[in-house]
Amino acid sequence: MDFSLFLQNFLNGLSIGSVYAIFALGYTLVFSILGIINFAHGAIFTLGAYFTYALAGGKFGFNGILANAQLPFQLPFVMALLLSSVLSGLVTVLLERLAFKPLRARNADPLLTLVSSLGAALVIVNLIQYLVGAEIYTFPANIYGNLPEAINFGTATKPINIRTVQIIVFGVSVIIVTCLTYLINYTKVGKALQAIAEDTTTASLLGINSERLIMITFFISGFLAGISGTLVSSSVSIAGPYFGISFGLKGLAVIVLGGLGNIPGAIGGGLLIGLAEAFVPSDYSGYKDAISFGLLFIMLLVRPQGLFGKKLIQKV
Amino acid sequence: MADFFNTYGHLIISTLFGAMLGLSIYLPLMAGQLSLASPGFYSLGGYIAAILSTQFFPRSEGTYPLHFLGVEVILSAILSGILAIALGILVLRLRGIYLAIATIAFGEIIRILALNLEITGGAVGIFGIPQPFDIPLAYLWIAIPLLILVMFLVYRLEKTNVGLALRAIQVDELAANSMGINSTKYKVLAFTLGAILAGIVGTISAHFLNTWNARQGTFDSSIIYLAFVLIGGSKTFVGPVFGGILLTALPEVLREIGNIRLIIFGILIVLGTIFFPQGFITPNLLKKWRK
Repeated sequence: MDFSLFLQNFLNGLSIGSVYAIFALGYTLVFSILGIINFAHGAIFTLGAYFTYALAGGKFGFNGILANAQLPFQLPFVMALLLSSVLSGLVTVLLERLAFKPLRARNADPLLTLVSSLGAALVIVNLIQYLVGAEIYTFPANIYGNLPEAINFGTATKPINIRTVQIIVFGVSVIIVTCLTYLINYTKVGKALQAIAEDTTTASLLGINSERLIMITFFISGFLAGISGTLVSSSVSIAGPYFGISFGLKGLAVIVLGGLGNIPGAIGGGLLIGLAEAFVPSDYSGYKDAISFGLLFIMLLVRPQGLFGKKLIQKV
Repeated sequence: MADFFNTYGHLIISTLFGAMLGLSIYLPLMAGQLSLASPGFYSLGGYIAAILSTQFFPRSEGTYPLHFLGVEVILSAILSGILAIALGILVLRLRGIYLAIATIAFGEIIRILALNLEITGGAVGIFGIPQPFDIPLAYLWIAIPLLILVMFLVYRLEKTNVGLALRAIQVDELAANSMGINSTKYKVLAFTLGAILAGIVGTISAHFLNTWNARQGTFDSSIIYLAFVLIGGSKTFVGPVFGGILLTALPEVLREIGNIRLIIFGILIVLGTIFFPQGFITPNLLKKWRK
């Protein structure tokens, strides 16, 4: 493979991989605190994209009961992105109250939480379909301002064109990861989260309000899902209410690859899968989505605790 | 009565298939293993039927010969079984959520292969799978005896040493191991039985539905099957049968209310897990009925 093509694939992989990473961080945060997987995470991803589309002044199609609906105002894209991510976070907190907390309160089987979160995902996805129909929505090309379509990183004779959107997506993801790392390692909330992840009972004995922190965790998780939904759909499009589901499954592959509940693992796993997908030859692009699951299988066989995970020994 | 069957015949047969798919998740769960591989094997079984009946077996006038269907069922059972043993040995070292994710990955790989291979008809799938009966309602003659047979076998299984070993593994795998139970062997056995059942149901479903494509046996369905078991009740084999029938029928019954039926269905799943954490059918409830 010639070098410029290699670099091009590499940068594209880095860009999509960074979105996988922030999306998977949402899964991993909840898992590290509660030991459960929130299967509605993919649905919140979809929801975030639709919120941004609406807030940025997008018009909905003629299917669904909100046919031709349009908000009376139009926010600049960055504002819409942030507001929609906050809304996604709030919806996730609501979800936690309705679908997770009642089960946690009575110490239910974690499998039940899984089913309950799937029921919630079913509600969200079908509610979207009911309201605005199932058609594909595309953001206008100039949402990030009047930037060139692509930027040439090579020379005039040997161009290495990277789509501007990809660069922005990567940049936003890096900012998010940096903020999150700071939040977890250097703030009081972060320390408390680490304490709860270590041992919930001891943490509450030490006076940490675990219910409040669980809400914060779900909010951050929903925020991350919403923002990654927007980022992905700004570089491709919103492919209907179900498009978050397959993304959600890929996110599962990412967190297992990196090690469940492990934050550097989610980032590493996301980048690894993004890069692996970017190097699939175009003749085999139909099999691209199988890459993450293939890697997942290999990882489970060779190192079930994941790239960054610690080996747990089952005790009696 | 005839009217009733004409209107609801299709639904009744689907609910019986649902009950069997619930049991296919219940089998590995007997040993405490959460496997979501059933949709993958269901899809595989369906493709075996679709490919053999449309591309390999001679096309004849009239109805599709039943012995060809028999060959398909046997072949599906054998292939699902072999694949399940291989997969089971690989993934059953994993516990809990890891196993669930590994089996979801298996299902996704099957789906992506089906979407891309030529023999499976790509995204379009396979159409015009021949019918072994003149009227669709006749599928009841396969579905009812098969369900009764499977229920009987699972009931018997629970009473044998194998069933006791599976229960012991479910309660405490380490303790079971130290009592001399080869837990890997039994887990693979339970997983394989579930896979064979899902494969057989897929084979018959492909004929019943007349068409087969990669949308059969996706991730959503694995969760629906799991809901059959957990909402029906995971402590006795009656639970998944009841859950399968109830939850397959529910969206159809709710069809009256139109577009919001899947929203209601989702809400009911959430409420069911919250208010019936043991499922509707529990062993205690069955004891009460017997008295």
